[in-house]
Amino acid sequence: MAMNTATSAEPMVRIEGLRKSFGNLEVLRDINLAVMPGEVVTIIGASGSGKSTLLRCINLLETPDAGHVWFHGADLAAEHVDVNRLREKIGMVFQGFNLFNNMNVLDNCTLAPVTLKKMKKPEAEQVAMRHLEAVGLANFAKADVNNLSGGQKQRVAIARALCMQPDLMLFDEPTSALDPEIVGEVLEVMRGLARDGMTMVVVTHEMQFAKTVSDRVVFMDKGIIAEEGSPAEIFGSPKHPRTREFLARYLDDKSDE
Amino acid sequence: MSSALSGEQTEPRRRGKIASFFLDDHRYVLLGTSVVALVGMLLSSQPRPEMSFLAKAFTVELVMYYLLAAWLVLSAVALVFKLTHWSNYAETAPFTKPAVRRVLRYIAYVVWAITLVLIVDRVVMGVASAWSVAVTATERPGDDFLQNILWMFWVSRDTYLVGVTTTIELAVIGTVVAFFLALVLVFCRIQTIDKPDNDFIRFWKVVGSGFAKVYSTVVRGTPMMVQAMIIYYGVVGVLSGTGLTATEMNAVWSPFVAGLVTVSLNSTAYMMEVLRGGIASVDKGQAEAARSLGLSQLQTMVKVVFPQGIKYAIPGLSNELVINIKDSSVLSIISVFDLTFGARTVGGNYYQYFPAFLIAAVIYLILTMIATWLLGKFARRFDVKVETMGSTSDQPVKVEE
Repeated sequence: MAMNTATSAEPMVRIEGLRKSFGNLEVLRDINLAVMPGEVVTIIGASGSGKSTLLRCINLLETPDAGHVWFHGADLAAEHVDVNRLREKIGMVFQGFNLFNNMNVLDNCTLAPVTLKKMKKPEAEQVAMRHLEAVGLANFAKADVNNLSGGQKQRVAIARALCMQPDLMLFDEPTSALDPEIVGEVLEVMRGLARDGMTMVVVTHEMQFAKTVSDRVVFMDKGIIAEEGSPAEIFGSPKHPRTREFLARYLDDKSDE
Repeated sequence: MSSALSGEQTEPRRRGKIASFFLDDHRYVLLGTSVVALVGMLLSSQPRPEMSFLAKAFTVELVMYYLLAAWLVLSAVALVFKLTHWSNYAETAPFTKPAVRRVLRYIAYVVWAITLVLIVDRVVMGVASAWSVAVTATERPGDDFLQNILWMFWVSRDTYLVGVTTTIELAVIGTVVAFFLALVLVFCRIQTIDKPDNDFIRFWKVVGSGFAKVYSTVVRGTPMMVQAMIIYYGVVGVLSGTGLTATEMNAVWSPFVAGLVTVSLNSTAYMMEVLRGGIASVDKGQAEAARSLGLSQLQTMVKVVFPQGIKYAIPGLSNELVINIKDSSVLSIISVFDLTFGARTVGGNYYQYFPAFLIAAVIYLILTMIATWLLGKFARRFDVKVETMGSTSDQPVKVEE
């Protein structure tokens, strides 16, 4: 992971002319985006603006209709590409946690390394324990995932993704399904990851997180990237009227609480 | 009744339903126990069976009879009292005092005990004596229905035993074979084209899924009786071209084998749909999470989706065993010697189909009840609830498209 911090000229992810429709609904219209190694990019925007779909196109959980998604120079959108190999290097954290219900916490973490990296079980468990420790859940290794709280589940999900030693982590609204008082514990783990130099693309409604952690903020509106820039630019002096509108409404809502 | 008991108030205790029924005082003790007493008196007026032990103690039964009658009289008095003191029965009647109620409860025990003795004497001993007549009789006993049916069962016990064994074999082996076939078939059925697949794999996925679809439609859309005929006579037709003798043919392709094949193939289609339903109810996020980690479609199915889907499908799958116990009866059309065929044989031997099939029905019921009970125990280990009794395979399986 340390090597990712070095800024190289080659972006880790490059998206070009990405389009995606569900039926008649155009969700993504001509998206262009590049993510450099070690960069933390947050994607903000109103519900239905295509944030999650964009994220899911990066590891091909959604198949793009047109355009290219390059990851480490390989085009994910090409026919017959071995997406499984590429996905091993792209971790994803979901809004609904999606922990495997038929396994305990440790097995959730070791499934992919044992299956895909041909790692021996004890070795994989060692790695998993290290990651569980990092998210503060080493004591829960043998616990049934259904008995965990939302915050604990999400931290396990992050540990599970990290066990594959990914180069890139995708976060799809990781805190939206959580109670307000436990959002912090998940964000703390994500902050730690960002500090360690992990390349991250985060779809979020946590503006404070976007402001303080990200290197770049992308504002999406109706399937296009309306504006992108440093957190200072986007939150300080947004240029696009839709960005201003969105942030104003968002900050209003927040001040009500 | 003695008033010495009246002082104490027993605090209400929490009891289970059955314990409460026997140990608590009830408002309707007179009414309810009257019915029990009436049953006892009716039994007492029945003719005594041969093995009746009360026949030797006539006075005892007489005393019991009058005790029951006395209870009825007491209840009648209470009823009259209730009718005449409708508005203030609770305050005026002697029957509602706590001490009296308790004594009434004790007397009710006696009434129950007497009736139970009479039930044993008349019903249990009646069946026992009919049984002893049936097993010793050299030819059909007279007109007594019970003796007759027990005699038929006893005389034809070997036939029934063969039938039951065959039915169990068909159902158990058929269900187990069908389960594994259904696993394979549902695996084909849910294949979808995945990005890394080459054209060869894509072709076979389309073929496999199409085959599973057609198979399910055809098998679930035709009656098992017809399927049995087609399978049996179809293979017989093919084999007859090979010049085998009838005995040789029967060794390879007996009605039992044909029946087993029919049950297995038929059940496969239903089990596949049950499995598909179970798999469909697994949250899509489970598969997405697995794919996002880099697991292939196959690995995702085997490690994540199938184990969860099968768990959801256990109630439906175990139901299939119960269905097969019952539905294998249609295989008697190709002369598989199952319980139904056995009953028909017995009925034909004595020109008495009604008792023969009554016996079969009782045996089927016992079989399905045992199967349901065992499967329930089995399913509880997996933490799932089961439906109580199997439906027939005619019930359409829910299919989501």
